[in-house]
Amino acid sequence: MAGAAETRLVSGDTSRSNAVAAAAVALAAVLFVTSLAALFEVITISDPFAGVPVVTVLGGTLSLLGVAVITFGVGSYVGAVETEPSRSAGLVAAVVFGVVWFAVGGAVTSRVLGIGGVAWAFVALLTGAVASAVTAVPREDIGSTLPAGAVTLLAGMTFLTGSVGPAWVWELEFEQQASLTAEFAIPVVTLFCALLAGWAAAKAYGGFGARGRKMGAYLLIYLNAGSIVSVLFILIAFTAFRGIPGLLNGTEFGLGTGPTVFGFALPVSIPFVMHGVSLFNDFQGVLPAIAGTIWLVVGAVLFAVPLGVGAAIFLTEYAERGRFTQVVEVATNGLWSTPSIVFGLFGFAFLIPRFGGGKSLLSGMLTLGFMLLPLVLITSREAMLAVPDEYRDASAALGVSKWQTIRSVVVPAALPGVVTGVILGVGRIAGETAPILLTMTGGTFVPGERTVDVIGGFEFVSTPPFVANPELLRATTALPFQLYALITAGVGLGDNVSSPTEFQWATALVLLLVVLSFYAIGIGARYYFRRKLDYE
Amino acid sequence: MIGTQVLAARNAVTQQVRALSNFIEDQDPTALAVVSVMTGALLVAFAGFLSVSSLAIVPFSIFVVAAGYGWLNHQGLTARMLTFAMTVGTILILLLITVFIFVESIPVFVYESTTVFGISVPGLRMFTQAEWDAVSPPIRYSMVPMIHGTVMVTLIATAVAAPLGISAALFLSEIAPATLREAVKPGVEILAGIPSIVYGFIGFTILSPWAADQFRTTGQGSYLFVGIVVGLMALPTVVSVAEDALSSVPESMKSGSLAMGTTDWQTMASITIPAAFSGVSAAVLLGVGRAIGETMAATVMLRGVPQLTKPLYNAFYGQSTLTSLIANNYGEADGLQMDALFAAGVILFITVLAISVGSQYIEWRMRRKLGGEN
Amino acid sequence: MSKTTSTTETDRTDTERVGTTTGETDEHVRDEWRDYSFDAPTKIGVEDLDVYYGDDHALDGVSMDIPEQSVTALIGPSGCGKSTFLRCLNRMNDRVSSARIDGSVTLDGQEVYQEGVNLVELRKRVGMVFQSPNPFPKSIRENISYGPEKHGDIDTGLLARVLGRSDEAAREDLVEQCLRDAALWDEVADRLDDNALGLSGGQQQRLCIARCLSVHPEVILMDEPASALDPIATAKIEDLIAELSQEYTVVIVTHNMQQAARISEQTAVFLTGGELVEYGDTDQIFEDPESDRVEDYITGKFG
Repeated sequence: MAGAAETRLVSGDTSRSNAVAAAAVALAAVLFVTSLAALFEVITISDPFAGVPVVTVLGGTLSLLGVAVITFGVGSYVGAVETEPSRSAGLVAAVVFGVVWFAVGGAVTSRVLGIGGVAWAFVALLTGAVASAVTAVPREDIGSTLPAGAVTLLAGMTFLTGSVGPAWVWELEFEQQASLTAEFAIPVVTLFCALLAGWAAAKAYGGFGARGRKMGAYLLIYLNAGSIVSVLFILIAFTAFRGIPGLLNGTEFGLGTGPTVFGFALPVSIPFVMHGVSLFNDFQGVLPAIAGTIWLVVGAVLFAVPLGVGAAIFLTEYAERGRFTQVVEVATNGLWSTPSIVFGLFGFAFLIPRFGGGKSLLSGMLTLGFMLLPLVLITSREAMLAVPDEYRDASAALGVSKWQTIRSVVVPAALPGVVTGVILGVGRIAGETAPILLTMTGGTFVPGERTVDVIGGFEFVSTPPFVANPELLRATTALPFQLYALITAGVGLGDNVSSPTEFQWATALVLLLVVLSFYAIGIGARYYFRRKLDYE
Repeated sequence: MIGTQVLAARNAVTQQVRALSNFIEDQDPTALAVVSVMTGALLVAFAGFLSVSSLAIVPFSIFVVAAGYGWLNHQGLTARMLTFAMTVGTILILLLITVFIFVESIPVFVYESTTVFGISVPGLRMFTQAEWDAVSPPIRYSMVPMIHGTVMVTLIATAVAAPLGISAALFLSEIAPATLREAVKPGVEILAGIPSIVYGFIGFTILSPWAADQFRTTGQGSYLFVGIVVGLMALPTVVSVAEDALSSVPESMKSGSLAMGTTDWQTMASITIPAAFSGVSAAVLLGVGRAIGETMAATVMLRGVPQLTKPLYNAFYGQSTLTSLIANNYGEADGLQMDALFAAGVILFITVLAISVGSQYIEWRMRRKLGGEN
Repeated sequence: MSKTTSTTETDRTDTERVGTTTGETDEHVRDEWRDYSFDAPTKIGVEDLDVYYGDDHALDGVSMDIPEQSVTALIGPSGCGKSTFLRCLNRMNDRVSSARIDGSVTLDGQEVYQEGVNLVELRKRVGMVFQSPNPFPKSIRENISYGPEKHGDIDTGLLARVLGRSDEAAREDLVEQCLRDAALWDEVADRLDDNALGLSGGQQQRLCIARCLSVHPEVILMDEPASALDPIATAKIEDLIAELSQEYTVVIVTHNMQQAARISEQTAVFLTGGELVEYGDTDQIFEDPESDRVEDYITGKFG
């Protein structure tokens, strides 16, 4: 029947040509990493590498990569390499290469030839159009390798010949002055060319056609996923690296060194998290901010969780699904995406006049509670909707009342989802700065003895509202605010802190640890519950 | 046509009323009394709280006592009433936010009125001229520089977050082997968990000085790098929503394509992404919403001077966004200037709310399309 | 024809896996159908195919040869592995990460499970129709031309149109031909641009068959193609299958024994535990099965 003879079921041995393409991909990967290192000044481009300046090495490697990619494409076109190219590289590639070559043409005419005005645009348009045509019209093996290889080769030659050297500067004639320097431009161009050529080489590795496209796309997608994870890793590792010295400043181990908790002296003393700021301290710390954050979270959870879970119960179990529930759903989702600073403004306008007219811990708690509320509502509702109706029917069929069913069937079944959602939400609000900025926080360096003590602060008074708690109504501090204040107030916050930078990084680290531990618990809880469900 | 609609509506209403009266008849009279007391007390307490009265504690205590009594004796009805009250409370909060922010911003809208064709349009001058000066006369509260800043930051952030986010979502939902997914997914979540002030701090201490050095700008703070940082922060939102959308494309559609002999990538590009297109665009929209509302990173990394950059597309300089304006100026602001900050809040609130509702509508349509007609 | 391998037989001495009703007689009966030979040459040969999903043994040493240009029905109770078997023939089970596959499947004598197999080519030659209709959310025309466009056989994209090398005419011919072959042309000829999801269930399933034909397969695998359809639509599909077997090798999974009896030339009976108990001419299987268990199953005592 038709189609049987066109291609063989088992592809032939292409290991040698594949090795060339794979080498090109590897070369692109090396260039990618090197250019990143150069961008963040791990490598300096003017420094010598094996006797040659790094910029020259980059130029040479780029040229090599460009030549390899073009060679492979041409080799495939003349039939020296066994591939299955499509008729054209496609519209997307044509547009991308058109734009790339538009920029190349423009840059070359204006920077190298020094032509401005209309001629610049004309040349740029022309090169762009030619590149588009070269991509779209010939077979895929030429269309996807030639423009990518040529741009890589051109960049390589520019660096190699020194047309763009370490001293190169492009003065952008802006009113607010800015310029592109070689130490930025060279790594970025290298990065970009490595991506283009790497993509083309990956396509070649897949033998073009459907498989080649998949290879090219997968290369970029895997690279992206890898980059995201590395950014995360670098962020955390960097903060830890910079923060640990400050955090462990003056740490002592040994019996009786630490502060006394519940009548026991802790066997470890970490002044940074166990002290506030005082003239007599050897080492200053952020204990009041930690206490403030903890109380904030406790208050917000006490406010938002009952309210949110209750509302979710009503919406899921009692209310008829219709216009009303839909409106509430839209409203809660809207509330969830409302910027945190708007919550801050609201707290400022609504809560502060009602709690004594000044910033207070209570206002902060409620503002964060407002922020947490929609998330609790959304996740609880999702968890309850996921409880199968059979459970409710089975319970109702036994003659159990609706509320009893909810209490003993629906809520327990939905609990894992609710708990996980709440923990992740708490992680989010614990790191929020903007809302508490306007509603709760006062000074930066709070002495250790001013650590809030909400429980001990309650007292009865003779005038309404009869119960008062000055601790709740006093402005205090919290970790995110403390970090903000440290940044905006700049360095040199007084003689109390010996090394302001260390103090800042240590604060950032403690904040990160607090927030990430909530996340770790939340994600861990989800795994635990899922596993339990799987094996039950 | 309209007549029948009215009739139907009236029928619905009478049905509801009848259902309600039946419901009330079914209940124990004491339970009803308790619930009525609770409702009344709660309403009075709320009114008292709104009017800044310390006496609001009295009806609130009555409510608590009544609720406690009801819980012990008539748990079902009390629970129902309580959960209903909680629902109403949640809606009230949204209403209160809207009302309070609007009300506080009214004076500045009045102050910044301009006459167009003989009609005075409140607030128009905030958008027609670009001068913000809260100190020396003429006092002007223009929102134009901040809107420009927000637009710049949002554009750059979207350019970062949308392609990377969609690609990561594809990776997670379609490509990654199970073990890799289990590793990357929590990673993305943790990325969402890093507090914005920590991003801002790293941006401020590392990125800003570096950028100022690289681009030889005067002073620190550029929309370009704030945009990149904010894009990184909006990334997890895009990833998780887009991943949900992609996974909601029925497996049978994907299998159908694969069984034709297409590659995974062809199936993604021609079946999965087009089918999930609306969900993916909703994800990008939500990411845009996050970027617009991002405060702390912008506040600490920008210059905080309410001005336009020159020229307008000069992203190497960063002045101020709507969010950073509020965070920078709330301290010394009072009177009209504070109201101007509320006006910035109103603009933010409306924009983000519109984006949220829009993306929900898109998602709802997609669910209907994939689920309903199939 | 495949030869009996004694090793797999000795493994299967435990009676647990075999239905409790007829466990004793099972051993020697199994061998007899293997001597059965068909007139037509073999299209697909399966040898000792084992499939595991994690710890679950889904297919247990299945061997059978499927003759060319005929309808072969796979019947058996649900969960007996017949769908799994079908999905092994075009390697759709590769999608399931927990699946482990041992044994050999050959297409025209070429091993399907070997290094370097071009899955694109395999699935072009071995098409598949699924249990519930799964048209793409595109127009009817695009549904048909999807496969050929993706394989680069026709190109009507924007770029091709700009460059003046669009294959519109070829596409129109192909669409009409496939829809006619799938007995759908008369019903949809005037609305080829409508969304395929707007068709009725039976029309959707015939569209899926037409879509499958568009890449000129040699084998068509059908996984209970009529189970989600009403009797009239089912009858249409059955007629179509008979028609298709003139040209294509059709392998169809069904749980409907009457259907298998009506449309197939050969029938294979799978029973619980993923074993192939009997395979032979459909008439013989339904009138005089060798295995007691198969007889029990067909008469409704078992399964």
